Order: sequence, then structure tokens, then C-alpha cells
Amino acid sequence: MTADKALPELDPVIHAQARLRVVAALNVLGDGNEMAFPTLKDLLDMTAGNLSVHLTKLEDAGYVRITKTHKGRTPVTYVALTKRGRAAFEDYTKAIRALLDNAGGTS
Amino acid sequence: MTSDEEDAPSPEEILRVIQEQRVATVRWLRGDPLLLYAPWGVAWLLGYTALFLHYGLDGHPYAPISLSQALGVLMGAQIVAGAVSAFEIARMSGGVRGHQSARGTMYGYGWLAGMLLMIIIGVRLSMILPPGEAALLWGGGTLMVVAVMYMAGGAIWLNWEMFFIGAWVAAVDAVGVLMGVGWFLLLTAVLLGGGFIAIGLWLRRRR
Repeated sequence: MTADKALPELDPVIHAQARLRVVAALNVLGDGNEMAFPTLKDLLDMTAGNLSVHLTKLEDAGYVRITKTHKGRTPVTYVALTKRGRAAFEDYTKAIRALLDNAGGTS
Repeated sequence: MTSDEEDAPSPEEILRVIQEQRVATVRWLRGDPLLLYAPWGVAWLLGYTALFLHYGLDGHPYAPISLSQALGVLMGAQIVAGAVSAFEIARMSGGVRGHQSARGTMYGYGWLAGMLLMIIIGVRLSMILPPGEAALLWGGGTLMVVAVMYMAGGAIWLNWEMFFIGAWVAAVDAVGVLMGVGWFLLLTAVLLGGGFIAIGLWLRRRR
């Protein structure tokens, strides 16, 4: 079975494991909080390049907000989930739960 | 290419990934309990045991340790513990910006204010108290700040473990002060010193 048949109507931006993990991690921080890029990188155990690619896709979809600033002289990048991103993650988890239930309640 | 092209995981698998990431993130935000609790446990076990050996249960010293030596052990060990936990807290708070870190900053100043007030009250009043009662004022007052701050921390971060640890400190403090300086020092060394080491190890194992 292909991904499209098994999992219809799932948000393709979030439905990639790497980006799902990014969103799941950022969702733990409540509204009004941002996570520093290196912290997110360590937490997800991804390379900086890989994480950047995924963050760009999430930013293009309007799911994360990326803020570049300076701490003293060192540049720091902060990442936060937007309201839209939070809602998308909620919808996604709801859809997954619904799929599970429809599949005959395997859990 | 990136993971977009991987085979689609099952819904169960996806939920497991979400859950694992959530748990890992919460764990990271709360810091390493071994570094946050155990150093204080070691400091109190060493320091309060030294003070206990100086005062004894019935006013007779159990070992030839002077008051300044015992206080030196307690203060030195507490400075080391403070440095270790400050290092861990700095690591935790460096990665997050926003309401979360504003809470942490205010909470940190709460600790500072509590301890400074305790020092002012202690310096002012311990001069007019007998040595044993002065030790109770310092020890009991310091632990009161610790107890209240832990319970408040539990409320701020909705962390029940932290809240109950604070309540435990409050209970040991209350019983110890009521029983007098010897018992206070013994109970603090064993139940709070030993207790914080055990809590640090237990929370670390459990996560």
C-alpha cells in the first residue's frame, strides 16, 4: 500500500518524520516561547544542515517563525511554533488518532 | 534526499514518535535531576553531619570539630553544589527564550531575595541568641526558604515532584526545629542530605 492510500488528507508538511519531530518538540513550549537553534538541533539529534532544510519548509508553510538576533556579538537563531503551526499539529494528531480508531482500535 | 521519501510509517508508529519527542523535550527542559538535587544532598549530608558532630544530641560534641570548621565544610560544599546546579540551570535556560525564561529569571531572583533576607535576619538576631538557638535560626530559616521556593517552583512549572520535595523539606524542618538543635542537625543530614541524593538518583533512573 502506498502512503497516499493508507493516510489520506494528512498534512504533507508535517507528515515527514523529521518535521513531525521538530513540531512535536516546539509544541511542548507554550505560546510565547522560542527555542535556540543549537538546542533544537541537539534535542532532535539532527545535523545543522538537515534541520535548516526542514525549518525552511516549515517556515514556508507558516508553521514556524524564525528569528535571527544577537546575544552579545554571537548571532543566535530562535525558532518558535506559530499559532498556525500549533493548530496544524493538533489537526494532524487528531487525524492520526482517527485513522487508528477507524483501523479497528488496535491500541 | 530528506526523509520525505521514506516509506510511510503506521499511525501507531507516528503517535509513538510524537510521544517520544514530547517526553525527550520535557526531560530536557527540566534538566538533569542528578545535577540539580544530588550535589545539595552531598553538601547537606557533609555539612550538617559536621555540625551535628560539633553540637551532639545532648550538648556534648561527638568529635573534635570546631564550629568554624563545621561551618566551613557546610559553606564550601554548598558553594560547590550551587556551582554545579547553576551550570545545569544555565544550560537549560540558554536554549529557550520567552515566557519560560522570564519565569525562570523571576524565580531565580525569588531565591536570591529569600536567601539575602535570611542572612540579614540571621546576622541581626544570632548575636543575641545562645549558640544552639542561633544555629537553629540559621538552619531552620534557610530550609524554610528552600521549602517555600521548591513548593512555589512546583506551582510555576506544574511539577508535582518539586512540590512534594518542598513539602518534605518543610516537614523535616518543622520537626527538627521543634526537637532542638542536635536533632535538627541529625535529621537534616540524614533525611534531607541523604534524601536529596536518593531523589536525584531515583529521578535520574526513572527518566
